[in-house]
Formats: sequence, structure tokens, C-alpha cells
Amino acid sequence: MTPAPITLYLLVGAVLFVCGIACMATKRNGIGVLMGVELVLNGANVNFVVFSRYTELGLDGQITSLFVIVLAAAEAAVALAIALNFYNNHLTIDVDRGDELQG
Amino acid sequence: MNFADIIRQLQQDTYGAGAEPVAGVFGSSMGSLGLFLPELLLCLTIVLLLLVRLFGADRFVPPYWTALVGALAAFCAAVAEFYGLRGAAPETSVEMFTGLLVYDKLTVFFRLYLLLFLIFVVALTILSGIPDNEDGPDFYTLLFGSTLGMMLMVAANHLLILFLAIEMASVPSYAMVGFLKGRRKSSEAAFKYVVFGAGTAGVMLYGLSLLGGLLGTLEFPVVAERLAVAFSSAESVSLSNPAFATLLLALLMVFVGIAFKLSLVPFHFWCPDAFEGAAAEVGGFLSVASKGAAFALLVRFCLAFSTVPGAELDGFGLYLGLALGAVAAVTATFGNLAAYAQTNVKRLLAYSTIAHAGYMLMAVAAMMVLLHPPEGTADLDGVAAAIEGLLYYAFVYLFMNLGAFTVVAFVRNEIFSEEIDDYNGLVSQAPVLCVAMLVCMFSLVGMPPFGGFWGKLEVFAALFDAGRLHWFMWLVLVVGGANTVFSLFYYLRVLKAMFIAERPENAREARVRADSLQGLYAIVVSVPVLVLGVVIGPLAATVRNVAEGLLSAVASF
Repeated sequence: MTPAPITLYLLVGAVLFVCGIACMATKRNGIGVLMGVELVLNGANVNFVVFSRYTELGLDGQITSLFVIVLAAAEAAVALAIALNFYNNHLTIDVDRGDELQG
Repeated sequence: MNFADIIRQLQQDTYGAGAEPVAGVFGSSMGSLGLFLPELLLCLTIVLLLLVRLFGADRFVPPYWTALVGALAAFCAAVAEFYGLRGAAPETSVEMFTGLLVYDKLTVFFRLYLLLFLIFVVALTILSGIPDNEDGPDFYTLLFGSTLGMMLMVAANHLLILFLAIEMASVPSYAMVGFLKGRRKSSEAAFKYVVFGAGTAGVMLYGLSLLGGLLGTLEFPVVAERLAVAFSSAESVSLSNPAFATLLLALLMVFVGIAFKLSLVPFHFWCPDAFEGAAAEVGGFLSVASKGAAFALLVRFCLAFSTVPGAELDGFGLYLGLALGAVAAVTATFGNLAAYAQTNVKRLLAYSTIAHAGYMLMAVAAMMVLLHPPEGTADLDGVAAAIEGLLYYAFVYLFMNLGAFTVVAFVRNEIFSEEIDDYNGLVSQAPVLCVAMLVCMFSLVGMPPFGGFWGKLEVFAALFDAGRLHWFMWLVLVVGGANTVFSLFYYLRVLKAMFIAERPENAREARVRADSLQGLYAIVVSVPVLVLGVVIGPLAATVRNVAEGLLSAVASF
């Protein structure tokens, strides 16, 4: 079986990225936006792993993706805590409802 | 090379070249760990802060003392390195931890900058009492963690560290912005900040992955070399070449992430909201420390992409500089215009922060243009002058912006308000705070004899130099100059309220005496603003030295 061309893998990464961006841009629900962020990070992760296999990036790519997985978890924890705090104060997590700070 | 050799090499890199690996830390030849001492001390402080509370000792040892001592210790370690007590500040750069971090004069300078600032912020929080005793350990853990991330940012030598450091600086700041419990505004500010920050971080990471794949490396020193190989012919540097288009896209994405940290237009939306919702102390921290660190990172990143002179990509560097100049001009103008309509002092200062990021970015733009002249070879003296301007500005900015936020914090503690209208006639009750605000704001405008004047002058001089190479920089210079005049008016509005307006009869009293600790702190922060405007030589010589040290690494390849 011949290995799949690099383009296919990159396409997966790119689709994840675009889905994530679309999700961030259109979702009004705060949690939905954060899910979009996860998609973007994972799209980048796919890229890193693919490049480490197909280019001379080597292990750097895989190590980077490992770090990013850990970091995404940490960031999600903080973001969800802040979302919860927002909910406690506003009884909603609709990002458009945060409109007290303007000008 | 077998496995044992790799381990030995790693040990040598980490502990120093001694036969006894651990002894190397204190010996003459320091390994990476020895050079990393200030950061390690910060880590230790974080652990201590949490442990002290775990054992219930925080009733006897308030957390701020642990924090202050830790910050002072880290600062002393960094100062010791600066003066060469433990190995001279290197003439050229030394790579730490197998090339992930770099230790050079810029690292040393910004490390001192950040630690000095950390001490000031911890002292400010002690005086204004924003984290109470119970929350102290959490707050200082976040503060120190964020500073640690910024210190990694300034030493980054690898794209992975660039991303990790930016995230490490950002994630605790999200939590710090939302630290005021039960405040609707604070939670909203933190929520907006985290959503925006996480989004831009994702985009930046995708850009980094494209860069990594394109160049086959993540290490800064190799980037320029690989670029020169990948784009060696004139045809390859055009948009019809997919690789070049990818490079542009990747750089754009990475700049999105950096622009978010610098709050450059159009990635500034979070800044006013976050500053208004957060405590003034946190606003002061974010405005100075994260800006300084992000500028150090931007300079490193730009220099890493500055290819060998004469290569086909030289024109690309020039256009990068011009693009940065355009962003800088728009940012400064927007920040100043938006500041007019503000009624909240913190929000006004947030827009002023955006404008100042624009001025400092002008220095980076001038640096790139000077480094990549349209014809002939680069005049490294001019480039060094541009970096010198940036560093001088950043250093003065530390004191003047911190001073402004300090006054806001102290006044808030007295009158529980941050509206400009409530500042009316404060001079009769808290003269020392008002004078400190006057000094800081005139310096922010850039008036002589305050430090801000010289910072601006050096940046504008670099722009003038760059203007001789490309007309566009003249335009940026004119915009910068016009902005300086605009900005006078909204700063004056605050000062007018403080000094000229009458204090209303029913207003809350704000008695802050000059000999109280708060008064002394305000004096200590604002005196350097004045001193840096009168005695320019020592700091200018130091930052010049730093700039030349940085460029000697660039010029050598």
C-alpha cells in the first residue's frame, strides 16, 4: 500500500482550522466559541505531526503537538472557569450579552 | 552517537561543563540552569506561596511578604548576572537548554526590566490591598506565573517556546482580569479576554505549523538560512509561487498572535474592556509587562527573518517593515482618537496604552526598514539606534504608565470611583497623587523635561533615518508627530479635572498625605520619570550596548 500524499493530511488540518474559525466567528454561545478554538488548535496539531513525518522538521513537530495538547487542556480549564464565573454573574453564556463594557 | 553520549551532552548543557555536573551550577562555568536562576527563583516562590497556605502559616506570614522576598531574590540574581558577578554578560549570545532559549544582552535587559516591574507591582498590591490575605497566594501565583511566561518570551529562540511563552503569559492574565469576585464587569472583561486570546492563539499556532513545515525547522537561528535557500531566485519571491504565498500567510497568522499581545489595531478590542473590568493594579501590570515582553519577542522574531544581506528576500524585509509602520500609524491614531470620548480613567489609560504600543511599533518598523534598505547595505548603526529608541521608550514607559495606574488605584481606594468627573479638585486633598499623575501624564504626552520626551525623540529620530530610505516612513513620522499633539488634549482633560475644577461639597474625601506609604510610593514611581528625562546618558548607553549586542549576532551570519 502506498502512503497517502501529504496533501490529504494537510487538507484534514485545513478543514479543521476553517471549521474552528467558522465556529468562533458564528457561535454566540461562549462554550461553542471555545470548542472552535480547540478545533483550530487540533488542526495545527495535525499539521505539526504531518510535517514531522514528511519534512525535515522531524521530532520537533511531534513534541510541539504534545506540548500543545497539554496547553490546550490547561487553557480550556481556565477558560471554562471564567465562563462559569461569567454565568454566575450574568445567568447566560451568550457572548453578545456581555455588553456592559463599551465605548 | 549512542544514548549515553546524548545524556551526557544534555547534562553538560543543563548543569555546565564541569566534571561534577551539579557543582557546575555554582562553579565558574554555568550551564543552562545557572543562567536560568532568576526564573527558578520565581518558580520556587510560587511553590512556597502555595505551601505556606497549605500548612496554614499564612496567618503568621502574609503571602505578600513571601511574594516580595521572592521577587527581590530573583531581581538580585538577575542584577548579579548583569554586572558579571557570576560570569560577565556575554558579548555574543549563548544558547540555553539545547537551543530552546537564548541568553544575550537583550535577555538580561528585559529580565531585569520585568523583575523590577514585578517588585513594583507587588509593592503596589501591598499598599492598595487588592488581593486580601485569603486570596493573596492565588493572586501572586498568577502574577508570578505570568511574569515567568514573559521572561521566557524575551528569551525565546524556538517557535515552540514562542507559542508556549505567549500562552504562559496570557493564561494567568485571563484569570487575573477576572479576579475581582462578584463583579459583573470583571467577569465580563475576563470572558471577553479569554475568548479573544484563545482564538488568536489558535490562529498563531496554525501559522507556526505552516512555518515549521515550510522551513523544516523551528529554531530561530536556522530560519534565515533556510529562507535564503528556499527563496533563492527572483521568481520564487512572488505570489505566484505557492511556497511564498504560504510564507506570507503563515507570517500574517503569527503576527495576529503577537498583535493581540501588543493590542495593535485591529486586535485591540480586548484591551479597553479588560482594563476597565480588571483592578487598576492588574491593568498596570498587563499594560507594561506584557507589552515589553511582546516587543522583545517581536524584535527577535523580525531579526530571525532578516535574511543574509543581498539575498532575494531583502525586499521582503523592507515590505515587512513598511507594513509594520502602517499598522503602527493606524494603531497610534486609533488609540488617541478613541481616548477622547472616555469618561472612565482606566479606559482612557487603556486607549493610551494602545497608542503607545503604536509608537513603540514605529521603532520596530524603522528597524526593519533600516535593516533592509532598498539599495546598498544596511547601516547597522542606524538599526542599533532604532532598537535603542524602543528600549529607552519601553523603560520610561514602565515608570510613567505604572505611575498613572498607581494613582488610579490609590484614588479608587479613597473615593471608590474611577470616573474622571469624580476626580474634580482632588489636588486640594491629595496633592502628592495629583502631582505624580501630572508628571506621568506629561511624560506620556512626550513633553520635556520628562523621560517620555527622550523616548519619543529617539523613536522619531530612527523614523527620520528610515524615511531617507523609503518615503513611507516620513508619513509614519508625520502621523506619529501629529498624534503626539492630539494626545495632549485628553491627558489634559484628566489633569484639568484634578487641578482646576472645584471639589464638590458632597464628594467623598480622598486624603492621601505625602508622608504616608501611598504618597511615598507615588513619589518613588514618578521620580524616575523625571530623572530619565534629565539624565539620559547612563540608560541610553546601556540600551545602546544591548542593541549592539543583539545586532552583532545578526551581522555575523
